[in-house]
Amino acid sequence: MAAPTALDRLRDPSEKTLGVMLLAPAFLLLLLIVVYPIGKLIWNSFFDLRLSGGSGVKFAGFENYALVLKDPDFWNATKNTVLITLITVPGALVVGLGLATLANLPFRRKWPVRLALLLPWALPLAFAGLIFAWFFHTEYGVVNDVMRRLGAAEPTMWLLRPGWAFTAICMTIIWKTSSFMALILLAGLQMIPRSLYEAAEVDGANKWQQFWQITIPMLMPSIIVALIFRSITALQTFDIPYTMTKGGPGNSTETLAMLIHKTTIDYLDVGYGSTLAVCMFLLSLVVTGFYINRIGRNA
Amino acid sequence: MTRMDRTLQGRNLRLIAAAIVVLNGFFPAVWILLTSLKTETELVSKPITYWPHNPTLQNYVQAFTDQPLLRYLGNSLAVAVMATVLSLLVAALAAYAIARLNLKRRQLILTCIVASSMFPLVTLLVPIFETMRAFGLLNTYTALVLPYVVLNLPVCTLVLVSFFQSIPKDLENAAMIDGCTRLGALWRVVVPLAAPGVFTAGILAFVNAWDEFLLALSLNSSASMRTLPVGITLYQGEFTFPWPIISAALIVAIVPIAVLIAVFQERVVGGLTQGGLKG
Repeated sequence: MAAPTALDRLRDPSEKTLGVMLLAPAFLLLLLIVVYPIGKLIWNSFFDLRLSGGSGVKFAGFENYALVLKDPDFWNATKNTVLITLITVPGALVVGLGLATLANLPFRRKWPVRLALLLPWALPLAFAGLIFAWFFHTEYGVVNDVMRRLGAAEPTMWLLRPGWAFTAICMTIIWKTSSFMALILLAGLQMIPRSLYEAAEVDGANKWQQFWQITIPMLMPSIIVALIFRSITALQTFDIPYTMTKGGPGNSTETLAMLIHKTTIDYLDVGYGSTLAVCMFLLSLVVTGFYINRIGRNA
Repeated sequence: MTRMDRTLQGRNLRLIAAAIVVLNGFFPAVWILLTSLKTETELVSKPITYWPHNPTLQNYVQAFTDQPLLRYLGNSLAVAVMATVLSLLVAALAAYAIARLNLKRRQLILTCIVASSMFPLVTLLVPIFETMRAFGLLNTYTALVLPYVVLNLPVCTLVLVSFFQSIPKDLENAAMIDGCTRLGALWRVVVPLAAPGVFTAGILAFVNAWDEFLLALSLNSSASMRTLPVGITLYQGEFTFPWPIISAALIVAIVPIAVLIAVFQERVVGGLTQGGLKG
């Protein structure tokens, strides 16, 4: 063999060499798909860069940023994104907590309940959007039919009026995301020792007091984990409004992710789209920072 | 209240609770199934019907003929399988290093990998789009597989690290004393024992890749390379919404993933609560 020593080292490498070898693929991919793109994104945001026309690349300094701050579409999309986050994250937490409490009862057969929590999680967001768009159809949707049976005189124009469209989108997001919340919280509920409740019972605490004094504090770590990841994904909301309303009517349900997608992929305005993306990135940093700060204080 | 009464009441309460959870989880799928069996005329008759009067399978035929649904299904399957296999390979190597090797900054390494999931995907969309365009990779499986592997890396690594840590180190040492090399011990001892963890991480990776929409929509827009979520949103015309056909296509697309999670539900729940980070 040409190089037995090198081969031997490959066969039985030292701790450090092996570590580098094993971690290399992961970090190469992160470099290619995360680190380089972030650098490129920030770089692009200082240029007038359009892939459509032959105008070429012009250095623009902070011009794009000045345009973003004056852009009503940007502020509209930011407002919608923040509102969706503020409504659907607590909404999904409350619904998820309810589902988890119900699912935590001692059923003889566990699989129907477990599958009912897993199915909405596994369903693609885009499909949830399509299905609920059909539910909320003004003429033939089941939601309006149920409301008619309950005595509503006029059908609600769900996806055709800005306020109602926004409501329908939030309800869909809450339905889609609450079961993931429920699964995380259910695991937390099952870790609370029964003896705590028995002791509280002896001390004369009722169910309501037990819920607030034992369940909620014991569940706090799970709640925080679920909230962090839900908030980060809520800020990126794209699939559900895209499939339900395409951002309409007008741009009343357009989110930041949709605006960035439209600017770069549809209009091929990479410079301006990158600036929008940097602004969105800063927004998500604020949210992540807020949570990390809170966790730091709790710990 | 007698004991009998109380257990009866508890049982009814449990049934109601189960009914609420099951209804909440299944009603969209059931409604879409019912819609997919209705004719176009029944669908636009008012008041709307709940149970189909003349059940028909015509919509399923049309779902496959109006759009290349089989092609979409194949694309989704190819992308998800490739992304899963590659995610597992990359994550397993990294997870083994973090869980087993005597590395100085293992916590920092793990944090770096997990923190990559904190970046909003849409902000990476523009440069990823540019890169793929520059390399001529738009409308290829590679364009989706590579980002999906990165998307899956945090979950898979977390799940696998905790599995590797649960395998006693002595087993590996014993194999090495018996003459195995370090990599030999990894392959013969650790890999078989970690198989359940690999499997769990694999299902999570598969579902993630199967569901992804934004990148699939942006990078693979040509008809022959669309994945299911992108393809099905395109059944709608400018003004028409052929709901029975869309519903049939949705059922075709939901069944594979529903079967997968139904069969492996315990593993999926375990994996999700261990390191699941998906909304």
